[in-house]
Amino acid sequence: MPEIFNISQTPITAHAFNADRSQLAVSLNSNDAQILTRSGSEWAPTEMLTEHDKVITSIDWAPNSNQIVTASQDRNAYVWQQTPDPDTGKIVWKPTLVLLRINRAATHVRWSPKEDKFAVASGARAIAICSFDPENNWWVSKHLKKPIRSTVLAVDWHPNNVLLAAGSADMKARVFSAYVKEIDERPAATVWGSKLPFNTICGEFASAAGGWVHSVGFSPSGDVLAFASHDSSISIAYPGGAIHNIRMPTLPLVTLTWTSEDTIIAAGHDCQPIVFSGSDAGWQEVGTLDNGSYGTGSKAGPGSVGRLKTGAFATFRDADSRGQTSSGTTDSKLSTIHQNTITSVRPYAGVPGQITQVSTTGVDGTLVIWDTASVSALTGRMAALSV
Amino acid sequence: MDVAFRKIDIDVYDEDALQESELYDADNRDPAQALEEARARQVSVRSLLAKNDTAGALTTMLDNSPYGPNVEDAKTISLQTLLTILNSTKSTEIPTAINSLSIDSQDTLMKYLYKGMAMSGWADSNASVLLSWHEKLTEIAGTGCIVRTMTDRRTV
Repeated sequence: MPEIFNISQTPITAHAFNADRSQLAVSLNSNDAQILTRSGSEWAPTEMLTEHDKVITSIDWAPNSNQIVTASQDRNAYVWQQTPDPDTGKIVWKPTLVLLRINRAATHVRWSPKEDKFAVASGARAIAICSFDPENNWWVSKHLKKPIRSTVLAVDWHPNNVLLAAGSADMKARVFSAYVKEIDERPAATVWGSKLPFNTICGEFASAAGGWVHSVGFSPSGDVLAFASHDSSISIAYPGGAIHNIRMPTLPLVTLTWTSEDTIIAAGHDCQPIVFSGSDAGWQEVGTLDNGSYGTGSKAGPGSVGRLKTGAFATFRDADSRGQTSSGTTDSKLSTIHQNTITSVRPYAGVPGQITQVSTTGVDGTLVIWDTASVSALTGRMAALSV
Repeated sequence: MDVAFRKIDIDVYDEDALQESELYDADNRDPAQALEEARARQVSVRSLLAKNDTAGALTTMLDNSPYGPNVEDAKTISLQTLLTILNSTKSTEIPTAINSLSIDSQDTLMKYLYKGMAMSGWADSNASVLLSWHEKLTEIAGTGCIVRTMTDRRTV
């Protein structure tokens, strides 16, 4: 049974847990990031990270060094560390400046696996790779620019701490080298290449029908790249080999995470986490984590094609076919747990390659923690179609 | 207030502006060839329709359709031919015909349906046919099919 927490009435734009999952950083579609602390089955707000002056777009919490990085539409990013307050001695989160040098919003941020770098995607057709400069006590950045032609929407690090995948609004998913010679050791050769100076392009992929690439993810080994794009499809690319493209009959997926080398969980406008499974021989959709019995809504939901026959639809259909406006009888709730688009799915429990739980947040302000093992088939999809 | 400045295309002053052509792989057929192919298809579709083979006619039309700029004539003929097929299919046979198509063809069919509805003057005579095909196609191929029609830059 998934754990469900109603965090807020507003959308949750980003969420990140600390290492032991006792605290959660969220951005509630505002300029501030909130730290929530778990007490029993509740999440209580404990601290507010205020420094940005526009909406925070992404948050990531480094598990080992316990640093939070936030990215915002104000073209800035800050790294937050817990330090004692000079006056009171109380432990508080203090921001450190990041010299991003971008002239458009920062859209997405992720710590590298070793936590010595992070990547900030932006609308300035660039990705800033940031590393710490102890002399000046700030974070400096190098830009990955070529051949990005539009806003970068998502980034994901390869386990070797050097390669970076990026999904962009120019319809492409790319793999770059983000090798910074001051901090990185020379990486071993991977399937993506052996000579990897900064800004080497190790792969460029697109889905057949195009569409903005909303989310990218390396498999746990780093040998495979998955990306979800706005043509309602998910693609799994093997460097130098096949690209498997699964087209969905539903609305687009916007976020994904690998739970093992052969399983991906993705979610988006269809409000439920979908499970995909496969290997280099082929991939398919295997089911959903939301079997439709947890939510309170009774109308279509998972099973139906997209949000096709939901409450609002039924209202207009009744008005059209029977000339009546239904008086409050129509249930506008979806039968899924999330009542609106899921914008983020992240690993919650387990080790890379064997993730046992994932967390999702979305526009409905709800946080849900799912067991990755309880997959139910997407049956009834066809049955629910009859009008 | 003077708002004319809002209509200035500022992208032409940006050397680095993203071009439409960078967003998809171009159709590699030249316009004349595409037009010839479209005409040839029109002929074969007619003979298939005479044999009552709606599914075959649809597959012929939707496979490798002309797309992109510079092939307007071929696109127009293709749309006309497709409308002939749609108009000559009984409404009870629509689901069977759609089910026999590949996902690719279903996506292309949806593109033609939207194009048909967007053509001024055309929609008047074909509206009900287009809408009933749209309804049936959405039931089978889902909202994903509509999303792909809106997303795909390879317009038919």
